[in-house]
Amino acid sequence: MSIVPKETVEVIAQSIGITNLLPEAALMLAPDVEYRVREIMQEAIKCMRHSKRTTLTASDVDGALNLRNVEPIYGFASGAPFRFRKAIGHRDLFYTDDREVDFKEVIEAPLPKAPLDTEIVCHWLAIEGVQPAIPENAPLEVIRAPAENKPHEQKDGPLIDIRLPVKHVLSRELQLYFQKIAELAMSKSNSALFKEALVSLASDSGLHPLVPYFTNFIADEVSRGLNDFQLLFNLMHTVRSILQNPHIHIEPYLHQLMPSVVTCLVSRKLGNRFADNHWELRDFTANLVALICKRYGTVYITLQSRLTKTLINALLDPKKALTQHYGAIQGLAALGHNVVRLLIVPNLEPYLRLLEPELAAEKQKNQAKSYEAWRVYGALLRATGLCIHDRLKIFPLSPSPSPSFLHKGKGKIINTEPQKRKLSVDSSENRSPQKRLITKDGPDGVQSQDHTGVAPMQVDNPVENDNQPQNSAQPSSSEQTSDANESESRNGMVKESGRGRAITMKAILDQIWKDDLDSGRLLVKLHELYGDKILPFIPSTEMSVFL
Amino acid sequence: MDPEQINEFVVGYLKKKGFSSAAKDLEDFHHHNNGSSLSSIDYHNDPELTKLIRSFSQQEDDPTRYRECYSKLRSWAYNSLDLYKHELLRVMYPVFIHCYMDLVGKGHTQEARGFFNSFRKDHEMVHLRDLQKLEGVLAPSHLEEMEFARSLRKSKVNIKICQYSYDLLLQYLHRTESTLMLGIINEHINFQVYSGQPTSSSDDIEAVTIVGSFQDTANHINQKEIQWGLLEDSLEDRLEKTGGLLSDSEKGQGESKDGDADDSKKRPTDIGKQGSSIKKLKKDKAGNATAKVARLETSTVPPTPRVKPELALPVMSTDVEQTILEDLRNRVQLSSVAMPSVSFYTFVNTHNGLNCASISHDGSLVAGGFSDSSIKVWDMAKIGQTGSGALQGENDTNDPTIGPNGRRNYTLLLGHSGPVYSATFSPPGDFVLSSSADTTIRLWSTQLNANLVCYKGHNYPVWDVQFSPFGHYFASCSHDRTARIWSMDRIQPLRIMAGHLSDVDCVQWHPNCNYIATGSSDKTVRLWDVQTGECVRIFIGHRSMVLSLAMSPDGRYMASGDEDGTIMMWDLSTARCITPLMGHNSCVWSLAYSGEGSLLASGSADCTVKLWDVTSSTKSTKAEEKNVNSNRLRSLRTFPTKSTPVHALRFSRRNLLFAAGAISKPAS
Repeated sequence: MSIVPKETVEVIAQSIGITNLLPEAALMLAPDVEYRVREIMQEAIKCMRHSKRTTLTASDVDGALNLRNVEPIYGFASGAPFRFRKAIGHRDLFYTDDREVDFKEVIEAPLPKAPLDTEIVCHWLAIEGVQPAIPENAPLEVIRAPAENKPHEQKDGPLIDIRLPVKHVLSRELQLYFQKIAELAMSKSNSALFKEALVSLASDSGLHPLVPYFTNFIADEVSRGLNDFQLLFNLMHTVRSILQNPHIHIEPYLHQLMPSVVTCLVSRKLGNRFADNHWELRDFTANLVALICKRYGTVYITLQSRLTKTLINALLDPKKALTQHYGAIQGLAALGHNVVRLLIVPNLEPYLRLLEPELAAEKQKNQAKSYEAWRVYGALLRATGLCIHDRLKIFPLSPSPSPSFLHKGKGKIINTEPQKRKLSVDSSENRSPQKRLITKDGPDGVQSQDHTGVAPMQVDNPVENDNQPQNSAQPSSSEQTSDANESESRNGMVKESGRGRAITMKAILDQIWKDDLDSGRLLVKLHELYGDKILPFIPSTEMSVFL
Repeated sequence: MDPEQINEFVVGYLKKKGFSSAAKDLEDFHHHNNGSSLSSIDYHNDPELTKLIRSFSQQEDDPTRYRECYSKLRSWAYNSLDLYKHELLRVMYPVFIHCYMDLVGKGHTQEARGFFNSFRKDHEMVHLRDLQKLEGVLAPSHLEEMEFARSLRKSKVNIKICQYSYDLLLQYLHRTESTLMLGIINEHINFQVYSGQPTSSSDDIEAVTIVGSFQDTANHINQKEIQWGLLEDSLEDRLEKTGGLLSDSEKGQGESKDGDADDSKKRPTDIGKQGSSIKKLKKDKAGNATAKVARLETSTVPPTPRVKPELALPVMSTDVEQTILEDLRNRVQLSSVAMPSVSFYTFVNTHNGLNCASISHDGSLVAGGFSDSSIKVWDMAKIGQTGSGALQGENDTNDPTIGPNGRRNYTLLLGHSGPVYSATFSPPGDFVLSSSADTTIRLWSTQLNANLVCYKGHNYPVWDVQFSPFGHYFASCSHDRTARIWSMDRIQPLRIMAGHLSDVDCVQWHPNCNYIATGSSDKTVRLWDVQTGECVRIFIGHRSMVLSLAMSPDGRYMASGDEDGTIMMWDLSTARCITPLMGHNSCVWSLAYSGEGSLLASGSADCTVKLWDVTSSTKSTKAEEKNVNSNRLRSLRTFPTKSTPVHALRFSRRNLLFAAGAISKPAS
């Protein structure tokens, strides 16, 4: 009846040495205990309020006990929250984890750093009702200047002269900040100072008014400095920092930023010296592009489609340089496995054919060109390899079998035997997985069972992988049979029972089945194209099943 | 049913109720009369009446009946007509708590708990805090012990209800013979029936507050007369005279003074722009000739009355007077279109120990009271030049804390032996008063950096202490439910104000020094006459403990902020809430009126400083009552801080707003 059960009272009584407490007495005491605890908490909350806090601490409770003339409870420093451990074997029993502390350890431990002394920092929260955008203030609401009206002026002139439809006053501090950052980016060095600046750019609030200036700056410098590798790299780092800053809304300026970023990805030439590691820049930029797509893809629906179109056009144009191809592949690969599967894989075969002559180094007079070709080949291999790796991950073939997988296996069995009475299947479908789980309790058992379950349907991709000759024939045949089975079973289902649930179940199973098949075929194709080079990308568990 | 049976029922009922002597008398009476002609009503053939009588003699003590009856009443109320529903639902809460307390009182703890838990959801939104208190009541003895429960039991709740709702309710109660509910309602609710349509707002504050026994006394007390006017011959008045002279002479001289020239240039344009609404609020601050013109135009508004001080006020030195006059002359005029600048003092590295902060009247001194019993006073004028500066520009915002290395740049005042809950500066800034959990109040000199006096009198932690507007006197309030008036030269309190039903959490002086206001955990604000020590006003309406108070400079209004984030504006003379200002969603730690009373600033635990338009809030309440969204209009600005709860606010005499708070998480 009260929150405090009588058992607690008994336990407390025992702990202070009263052994002969009557259960009735405990029962009577329990509500009073609760009342007292509530009383103390009420006073503790008052203490908390007067300490101008909104979280209750142990010291507040001490203060409340003090008010009631009760001796405070010692040993509770109001620091870290208590760690409660669950008592083994009991459901709702917890205890605090109280470690024994060795005095020697405490004494010998070095003195902790002295806490910093209290200081007062003064700043303007508002000036005549307007909050200045300084780091001391909370980030402002986004100033939504109409971005499309923004004039593209030369950046050489003083910044303040840029006239916007909305009067946009940059404080002196912000102007200095911008100049400093711009200087550092232009300095073409990779100094520690620049790194600090990047961190500041990525974390400081109040920088939002500078965003249009930064976008303009980056766009200008990229178009002007394509030959300067270090500058480009610095600029891309700047872009990334701006993107990372949680206080900046970059969306309205993305369309200005994207061309320069994509330029750094697929430009024919980045940097003018051979030593410039433009591959690294392209990789970095590819990740940047992927980051942008992931973050703002939902806001700009056309963003990703436009981007992929640009990249795939660059890739499929044989006139374009290999460096451009490389950038396009990296960009597409960074966008995710689905993009790779849908855009690169279909074009893989013709492209590799095109690449083949370049790869053969001895035929090439130009050593550099062959190197580039191998880079492209490597990028392709990586992209598709990761893609197939991801696809294979979808199979829950790992040693711990999930029920869904077992369902899947069961579904296939049903397909093989369409003549079976559907009603009974329905029920067995529900029951059998659990049964199997119980009977087969080792991972080995499950795997072997899995083989037997799948084998009749010839979905056994590993077989295909091993003996190449059968490759061409089998997938198609399996597909046909499965299609036939599907239609048959579906008809039967509709006719016989027409249960909605069963049908949706069926649809799901079909989908999984198809996916299965797709990736199987994909793997085969990749293996054809790459030979054994693709194998490292296939997860070991899959290898063991497939090979 | 024959009379014999009825007699049996009646006797049985009386006996059950413990009126054995009455039962005996009745029996005797019946023996004498032998049922000759008792009945003027024909209850023989009235089955309704029979049932009713029978129900009386039923098992009265059956705890399940409470639940049954209440849930029936509840479902009926929820299914009633929309128009009247909110009025009927209002009845549910008192019925609910009294059912619960009845159950507890009869010892059915378990049933009481079950009953409470099944229906508490209905009332949580409005009465959460009361419910939390009541929840702990589990034994009859608790009912006696707990102040809140006792006051609830003793008093009747006033509920305003329209005639039709009342009829509906009575009809229902009679039809269903729920005598139990009828009993509770009769016993604990005092209906104030009015004719006409039910009030539209279901959120009527008066209707939902249950205040215990003092509703009636409050009404009575609030009849007393108070003189809220400003003091005669105040500095402002003097300024008006001298200011008038000054500007007259200026006209002759052709605007020689820069500062004043600026002002007088600005003001005519202001007035031209903003029209008459602005003129009104300028009525009493008349700094120069233009303002005087404005005053003439708005002569329809009665000028603030003047009163005599009831206390012997300290004499102000002429230097101090001069600086104040100078400040007043240079005051920036604030209004809904002319916002103040806000200078924010952030305490860093407080390690969660800052209990209170206080800013001196000119903003140059900042004091912090800490939970380790220390008080630290920073002289901002020494640290940087930011302290003094309404005239300074944006460029001075550079970090002023770089003091002399290796030395702390504040004054440490040690003396208390418990957490310091409040600190306040005397108006000229030469003294600091602090109050602490060690039940003492200490007076410190900022020139000597030493403790001068220790005032002992309170028996429990002293939550708040405030200097009077003219110094010398101060008021304190404590957990011991009293507020006390002291003067600096006596170690005994001059007055003790007792009357609050719970802790007195905050105290504030009226600008004319004749009254103090106190806010309490019993959710009321009271106004006390300093001279007599009597309570002269009770302000009822808050739903949780009152944490902060502010008095408007013209002495007419008061603002109070509570734990939930509600701010209420009160009219002192009528003791009515002019308007609740909603917007904060956590404790309002601090409130401050601007120098001429046109703006109210509030600082809260939700890390914002808000500015409210007082003039529109006070003027047009009647008209805006219909407009539900009008609350939003009155909030002029919100300044979010960087995760810094705002502990203290202060408008300087020149209307620069100072705010202070401790950053709540360590800077990364």
